[in-house]
Amino acid sequence: MRWVDAIIQGTLLGGLYAQYAIGMSLMFGVMRIVNIAHGDLVVLLALIGISLAAVFGLGPGFLVLLLVPIGALVGWALQRFILNRLVGDDPLPSLIATFGISIALQNAMLAIWSADTRSLDAGALASKSFQIGEMYIGLLPILVFVTAVILTAGLSMVLKGTKFGRALRAAAADRDAATLSGIDTKSIYAKATAVAVGILGIAAVFQATRTTIAPADGGGQLIYAFEAVIIGGMGSIWGAFLGAMVLGIAQVIGSRIDPGWGVLAGHLVFLVVLAWRPQGIMSRK
Amino acid sequence: MTDPHFATVHRHTSSSRIAIGCGLLLVLAIPSMPFWASSGHIRWAVELGCFIAIAQMWNLLAGYGGMVSVGQQAFIGLGGYALFVLVTLFGVDPFLAVPLSVILPALVAAPAYMLLRRLDGPYFAIGTWVLAEVLRLITSNIGAVNAGSGMTLKAMAKYSAHQREIGLTLLVALLLLLTVGGTYLLLRSRLGLALTAMRDDAVAASSQGVNVGRMRFSVYLLAAVGTGLAGAIYFMAQLRISPTSGFDPNWSSICIFIVMVGGIGRLEGPIIGALLYFFATRLFGQYGSAYLVVLGLLTLVVAIRAPTGLWGLMTRLRPWPWFPTGYILTKG
Repeated sequence: MRWVDAIIQGTLLGGLYAQYAIGMSLMFGVMRIVNIAHGDLVVLLALIGISLAAVFGLGPGFLVLLLVPIGALVGWALQRFILNRLVGDDPLPSLIATFGISIALQNAMLAIWSADTRSLDAGALASKSFQIGEMYIGLLPILVFVTAVILTAGLSMVLKGTKFGRALRAAAADRDAATLSGIDTKSIYAKATAVAVGILGIAAVFQATRTTIAPADGGGQLIYAFEAVIIGGMGSIWGAFLGAMVLGIAQVIGSRIDPGWGVLAGHLVFLVVLAWRPQGIMSRK
Repeated sequence: MTDPHFATVHRHTSSSRIAIGCGLLLVLAIPSMPFWASSGHIRWAVELGCFIAIAQMWNLLAGYGGMVSVGQQAFIGLGGYALFVLVTLFGVDPFLAVPLSVILPALVAAPAYMLLRRLDGPYFAIGTWVLAEVLRLITSNIGAVNAGSGMTLKAMAKYSAHQREIGLTLLVALLLLLTVGGTYLLLRSRLGLALTAMRDDAVAASSQGVNVGRMRFSVYLLAAVGTGLAGAIYFMAQLRISPTSGFDPNWSSICIFIVMVGGIGRLEGPIIGALLYFFATRLFGQYGSAYLVVLGLLTLVVAIRAPTGLWGLMTRLRPWPWFPTGYILTKG
């Protein structure tokens, strides 16, 4: 029963990682860019949310409504004014630029919010749980997981079925050919990054209500998103979702064996997948 | 038929003769420091030397090998820990243990490259970070190396402060000769031609018969060894190491800032960048996070506006190379 519980808790934890991972997978799939500040943006949005909640007394639901547009705007501006100048075959410029942003952002947040860990009070939602047999499952983790499923399915449907999705896939397959067919790739890229960072607005609220957040946490979130993407298979949205589940389960099982080994167990599963199935577990190749 | 007197080939210029002469004199002067300089200044020289070496290795990796790493702290920590373990657990003499400390980084780098090379472009960079995190977490869980609380180099007590300074300054001079001098000689060799071709265009280089895969592997290994040596020397001077200091991601920020602002893909860049970073940190480090915000933004601006860094801007004004690696053809 202890291990069944670990798998369930791991899956629910994976729901949070999936929300970071699908945006990263989208950006890499479309532009072959990895935004090193991805995790720092989660932290930034969460800290903004915590401050808004403190000043205006807003609940988590309102915060999501505010943080998603803020995130989307930040993402759009990031792509429009910075990353669009650096998209290309050479990964170095965009990596260095986002690395610089990450350092600047982390230290700016440290100056504004200090190094304290903070969290968001979700009220009754945080403590409510169901009992199934001998296990207790929190309502909040379930909500996180269901949101992750909806986001992944939604993004997947947008990519498959809408004009925007077709333009995205065309720009991903061949940038020059897409431009020739009349697609404004730069504007498509800006929208893709807006979607990726907008999703982080939801993730930020969940992160801050489920656990705590501090300015230096971004690196860890970036690594979890990355591991989920690679475990699942690069470039596939559902792959990133599944990878996040595997990562969450690995971390929870690891920490049940020894509290010091939780995060490490996740890293080790990532390395094993890289050695054994570098194309990811979801890939058909 | 070409006239043999039509042109002559030079490899050096007046600027390079002066620069290399001065550079050698400076490096050779470091071991004399214990006889005339204060301990504070010697500590500066050791730290600056380690920064130059680590940055030059990152430049070799990213600038020439095309492999952006945000996890070189893996090898700094491994080099440092190898030294502390050899000295504390195996009783090896500290100064003898420093050259032996590069074995562990090399042993880890070889299989690590085999795994990481499977990651595409920018994902490679994050993969190197995961490797460093794995090493940090494993080290924090090993009781023999005092887990999270770290180790102290008590064996250094058998040497007087003066003897320690002589040993450290000799090691730093050697480190600079190996990393900067060694990279220079490497780039002037046949392999250097292949590396320079890879820097400019990996696909074109491969079509000209450069085995890009094998070159990248060698570069990754060399960079790990050079970085590990610098890590061993740096932490020998610190006398203490812990998982958080040895495998600190901040090392990557330092590498990236120094090389990008100094000028990537040129040997002169990391030296200029390291000098700038070192003295800027002495002057403005007191402002803490505000200073780091400026460093981060500066890295961003350089990536967008001046990808060749300060050295690139200087070369545009006055093409006076310090370490020319090419061939110069002059008439007559």
